[in-house]
Amino acid sequence: MAVQCDLHRVPGFVPLALVCIAAWLTQPLTSPADDGLDRIRQRGTLVWGADQEGGGPFIYPDPDNPSLLTGFEVELAQLIAEHLDVKPQFSQGQWDKLPDLLDRGDIDLVLNGYEWTTNRAERYGLSIPYYIYELQLLGRVADDSLTSWDDLLKPADGRKRKVSLLGGSAAQDYVERFGGDNVDVALFEGATDAMDATELGLSGIDANVQDLPIWLFYAKGFPQLRPIGEPVGRGYYVAMARKSDQDLLRAVNEILLQALQDGRLHRIFAKYGIWNDTQMMRGLETDKSGGFVGSPDPAADGETKDAATASYQPSGGWTVIQKRGGLLVRSAGMTILLSITAMPIAVFIGLLIALARLYGPWYLGKPAAVYVEIVRGTPLVLQLYLIYFLVPKLLDIIFPGMELTINAFAAAVMGLAINYSAYEAEIYRGGIQSIPRGQMEAAISLGMSRSLALRRIIIPQATRLVLPPMTNDFIALFKDTAVCSVITVVELSKQYYIQARSAGAIVELGLLTALLYLAMSYPLSVMTNRLEKNLNQERRG
Amino acid sequence: MIELTNIVKRYQQHEVLRGVSLKVADGEVCVLLGPSGGGKSTLLRTINGLESFDSGSIRVSDIVLHAAAGPERDAALLQIRKRVGMVFQQFNLFPHRSVLENVTEAPIHVLKQSREAAVQNARRILARVGLADKENARPGSLSGGQQQRVAIARTLAMNPEAILFDEPTSALDPRTTAEVISVMTDLAASGQRMIVVTHAMSFARTVAHQVHILHAGRIAESGPPEQIFEAPQEAITQEFLSEAARA
Ligand SMILES: Nc1ncnc2c1ncn2[C@@H]1O[C@H](COP(=O)(O)OP(=O)(O)O)[C@@H](O)[C@H]1O
Ligand SMILES: [Mg+2]
Repeated sequence: MAVQCDLHRVPGFVPLALVCIAAWLTQPLTSPADDGLDRIRQRGTLVWGADQEGGGPFIYPDPDNPSLLTGFEVELAQLIAEHLDVKPQFSQGQWDKLPDLLDRGDIDLVLNGYEWTTNRAERYGLSIPYYIYELQLLGRVADDSLTSWDDLLKPADGRKRKVSLLGGSAAQDYVERFGGDNVDVALFEGATDAMDATELGLSGIDANVQDLPIWLFYAKGFPQLRPIGEPVGRGYYVAMARKSDQDLLRAVNEILLQALQDGRLHRIFAKYGIWNDTQMMRGLETDKSGGFVGSPDPAADGETKDAATASYQPSGGWTVIQKRGGLLVRSAGMTILLSITAMPIAVFIGLLIALARLYGPWYLGKPAAVYVEIVRGTPLVLQLYLIYFLVPKLLDIIFPGMELTINAFAAAVMGLAINYSAYEAEIYRGGIQSIPRGQMEAAISLGMSRSLALRRIIIPQATRLVLPPMTNDFIALFKDTAVCSVITVVELSKQYYIQARSAGAIVELGLLTALLYLAMSYPLSVMTNRLEKNLNQERRG
Repeated sequence: MIELTNIVKRYQQHEVLRGVSLKVADGEVCVLLGPSGGGKSTLLRTINGLESFDSGSIRVSDIVLHAAAGPERDAALLQIRKRVGMVFQQFNLFPHRSVLENVTEAPIHVLKQSREAAVQNARRILARVGLADKENARPGSLSGGQQQRVAIARTLAMNPEAILFDEPTSALDPRTTAEVISVMTDLAASGQRMIVVTHAMSFARTVAHQVHILHAGRIAESGPPEQIFEAPQEAITQEFLSEAARA
């Protein structure tokens, strides 16, 4: 690849050019035409986006009929669609990608617990709030060392407290500003995952900060968790549309106001157990475009009130790279650490598996073959998930009361190593099989035992053969580390999503991230080529 | 003394060795001749246990190898392999090691010789086979004849009681064949016991003490080379020799 070959002498102006292209690409692509409502009416459906994975009470599969969706946002969508005289049509999207779906024109409206922020208000059309949420601090029932927000700032057992959070959520902003360097955070992609991990105390997690409606909804399912202190950090769930769809926004505001006044909203929220007095404090001012302008009374809730109005300054170009690039580079360090820890383990396990299959008795060879098939036949993300959530439970069953656990990094390394060991086993098996039979015979006829012959003669030769494909796998592993974010490990990709989402600089940071990945994998692919060349020369003699 | 008694070897239904018995006395060179497929390679490979056999026994000095599998047989095999070397048609040198390392590998790791002793001995042996200047070369950079001489040096480093040669020159051109034959002739002259399967008739004629004609898994005729080549008794021997002369 030409790009790769020239990387080591990229002239200084290239990054500048990339940023210029980035700035151009990030211009809004949608035209300001005000035709959203007509389009929806013509189509006869309101396509609204949300992430079912986020779960209740927002939107989740109906427990009685899992093929149907339920949740207060499903009912809201119904309400809005009825008002527009069309049918609601749900469209699944990963939570953090929903704005992208809006930009792409795949959906008309996002209804999924998106909070009002200045940043979002600038980029998107935001409705008046349909719900006022607050944040609830949760701790374990059994842990009486944590009784207030201030306790979070005090180290316990000589280490900082650790709080589980939904990545990219208002709770994350709030806790980071509240705790600063005094609190560790573990980021999750699902609210219930975060609560699960807190209840189990995984990775030393002490507490969880959760949107109050989620806690109200799930409290029964987490008997080992308890609320600590009063809810804090008030914010507003708003419907999100394209900036250009002002008429749609106005119609959404209309029906929300109506439903607010005639008690329909109250009934919907009460149905999910999330109505509270706070809802009555809703501010109803709208701006010229019909969007909500923000908090009605910023002083009402003191310091902690503005969780949603993050101190965000929209940024792009060099500024964002200067401000956030360092974070990305540091996270690239985690990517490297994960890779260089997992790969040698994977190769070692792979070798053992290959030897078991080729030379072991059946009671080793058969299970080894089954291992390879199972590991290769299941996705990495599932394996990571199982290791992170299942292994501690198993440990607890096997060694009750010993509180054995596995931290996220160890689980990530284990998952990657196990996943790749199956592939390395097959590469090794192929490598060993391609060593001529005469090598083993010569070694044996010199009086070597089979294991000595393997160690001294066969494996060293096979290793040279498998080095190029394994280096290739190493490059793939580098990229697969991105999946570890599902178990809260923040590596390069996750950091990119987090930073890009909060800065709105998808392209600039994306290019930087891509460059970082390239910088990590390019030396490896140079190495692969060298190894292959050497091997070929050696073969030719 | 190497003694084979009534060796029978089957591949599934196919009986490849049908009761072969022969003796090789100390310092003797024994040559096996016979048409392709007659069982010569199989016979050599059973002697150092690269193939198992179904009945009969093999004696190398005080070690006796029986057909029945088990720990006893494994122990006997390990002993025999240390004492009996094998030279293959395809050399089978270790390509990831230098010539010197090929020769010192087994003395160091099997006989547990010290590295210095093994290296010193290896240099002496490499000089003997005419490769003193190649000790740092990789096998891949040598000619076929040189590789086969390294293979011979590799077995000699184990100080074997006998060396088995399975068509050591069949993969070589005539010039390099001569190099290898000359090394083998020297070895025979120095009293090295060997069992050689070869198509090099002149070697059989001039160096062998005993010649056996192996045909269809049986020894058809045995005797000193003068008798086998000048006055063959069996039709099979006559046929084989006339075919060999034509080739
Ligand atoms: N691994 C094997 N499996 C089955 N049959 C074999 C195997 N090796 C050799 N044979 C058979 O055994 C017979 C003797 O072979 P071999 O000992 O190689 O003969 P030679 O070396 O005299 O040419 C041949 O018929 C050959 O096909
Ligand atoms: Mg043969």
